[in-house]
Amino acid sequence: MTEIIKDPQMPQLFDLTGRVAVITGGTGLLGRQHALALGHAGAKVVLLDLPGSKPNLVAQQLSQTEQFAAIGIAGDITCEEEVEAAALKVLQHFGRVDILINNAANNPKMEGTLGIAWSRLENFPLAVWQADLAVGLTGAFLCSRVFGREMARQRAGVILNIASDLALISPDQRLYRQAGVPEDQQPVKPVTYPVIKSALLGLTRYLATYWAEAGVRVNSISPGGVANAQPEDFVQKLRQLIPLARMARIDEYQGAVLFLCCDASSYMTGANLVIDGGRTCW
Amino acid sequence: MSLQAEKLFSLAGKTVVLTGASGYLGRTFSRALLENGARLVALGRSDRLMSEVQGWQQEFGKDRVAAHQIDMYDLDKLDALLDAITQCEPRIDVIINNAHELGPQTGFNTPAGSLENASFDQWNRHFLGGLYCPTRIVQKLGVKMKEAKIGSIINISTMYALVAPSPSLYEGTELLNPPGYSASKAALLSYTRYLAAFWGGHGIRANAILPGPFSNVEDSGSNSVAKDNPFLDRLKSRTCLKRIGHPTELAGCLLYLASDASTYMTGQALVVDGGWTIV
Repeated sequence: MTEIIKDPQMPQLFDLTGRVAVITGGTGLLGRQHALALGHAGAKVVLLDLPGSKPNLVAQQLSQTEQFAAIGIAGDITCEEEVEAAALKVLQHFGRVDILINNAANNPKMEGTLGIAWSRLENFPLAVWQADLAVGLTGAFLCSRVFGREMARQRAGVILNIASDLALISPDQRLYRQAGVPEDQQPVKPVTYPVIKSALLGLTRYLATYWAEAGVRVNSISPGGVANAQPEDFVQKLRQLIPLARMARIDEYQGAVLFLCCDASSYMTGANLVIDGGRTCW
Repeated sequence: MSLQAEKLFSLAGKTVVLTGASGYLGRTFSRALLENGARLVALGRSDRLMSEVQGWQQEFGKDRVAAHQIDMYDLDKLDALLDAITQCEPRIDVIINNAHELGPQTGFNTPAGSLENASFDQWNRHFLGGLYCPTRIVQKLGVKMKEAKIGSIINISTMYALVAPSPSLYEGTELLNPPGYSASKAALLSYTRYLAAFWGGHGIRANAILPGPFSNVEDSGSNSVAKDNPFLDRLKSRTCLKRIGHPTELAGCLLYLASDASTYMTGQALVVDGGWTIV
């Protein structure tokens, strides 16, 4: 069980010194940001990602430029043996695991793309459905099982699932429309993305209750879209759906990630933090 | 923007207005704000406010805390106070609406507060103190936030805005959680979303915190619970974490919402309930 902190002074409240954090999809756009949030708070960081994304190299660069301990592990989280092997490596290298961020997901960019009628529900290939679920959902399950088991054994730990505002609302397909494209060719956000992200909320609540007495807390965040050089007309349309009238900056989820991974949130479990500029509140 | 936790969650240079500052949660909120650099404008009704503030001023410096003892039910006085705060505070960055009357006059822990018996006056006090006063504070002090084009408003609601208290918790005890509490706190959530939607374009964020069981086991007032009261065991067993919360366990959430760590969050309700509402 996490000790109750009697003194709400920040440095201790948000301190992760000595803790080991595993981040799936750790080399990605947001995965790297999660690493920065936890690493700067004192955690040792493990970037778990596919070999093609060069997790070793990214971790090496991170630890050099940011001055915290980071290692990369190449592995496929959809494969049971590889997740077990990754856990072994983490334990061999750092001796423990305290934090797991289930961040990995396939997220194909639909804005500004043409000729991708395959993403439409009528055409959506079963193979893509299965591949997307394998990464976003089965991967989160396998990593939670393997790394969460270690946390439950040491009677302390935190799992953070990265959901999405699309876990709460459906994609507004009008955002992705292209002028002059026939109806049956219009690009859409694929069905798998909101399905997986919604399911992660269920996984969050299940794990939170399942391991509550073992001292493992499980929460999720539901971030909105991050500004990443999307086409201007897409951004203009999206802005109108958001009270703060903008997409998120890349570093704006670091506060929530750190908060949920440290003792500042010691009484929080099974919760979902929605950070969407207000998109779902009206 | 610095991403060091100490700076990310810092309130240095920010002025925070907090109501109910000397209450059970308010005292810890005050300390969390002060320890992390804020200037605190503390509002409260009880005499305890002044003694608490004296201690904080000694510890953090006289200029770091302003105290205003006020009974917010006196709406004329409240307006006059808000005007005075607007005049003398150069900036207001954060408003925390934390005050709520938890006593016999709002029907707590008395048969007179039950669903069958709750009076107009009790209902009125819930909605006047728990809903209208926060909206009036935001109307008046929010002008400064709109001018500055930045601000964070935090409304303290409760998990009972989402789920009802279970009657079996109270069976055989003198305790009672009245219907006006749930209803006014749920209304505060709607108001939070409305505020977020209409003032988002002004750079002002509005969010709520929904605490679960944070029973006051430290004082001996009308809303406190003795440490050996079996009611506490019922509360504990209803949570996933099998314990009640300590006020310091809301401090992290409060700092997150008050600071620049949450600049893209608005219109939300953060549940800190040990898992009460997920099962």
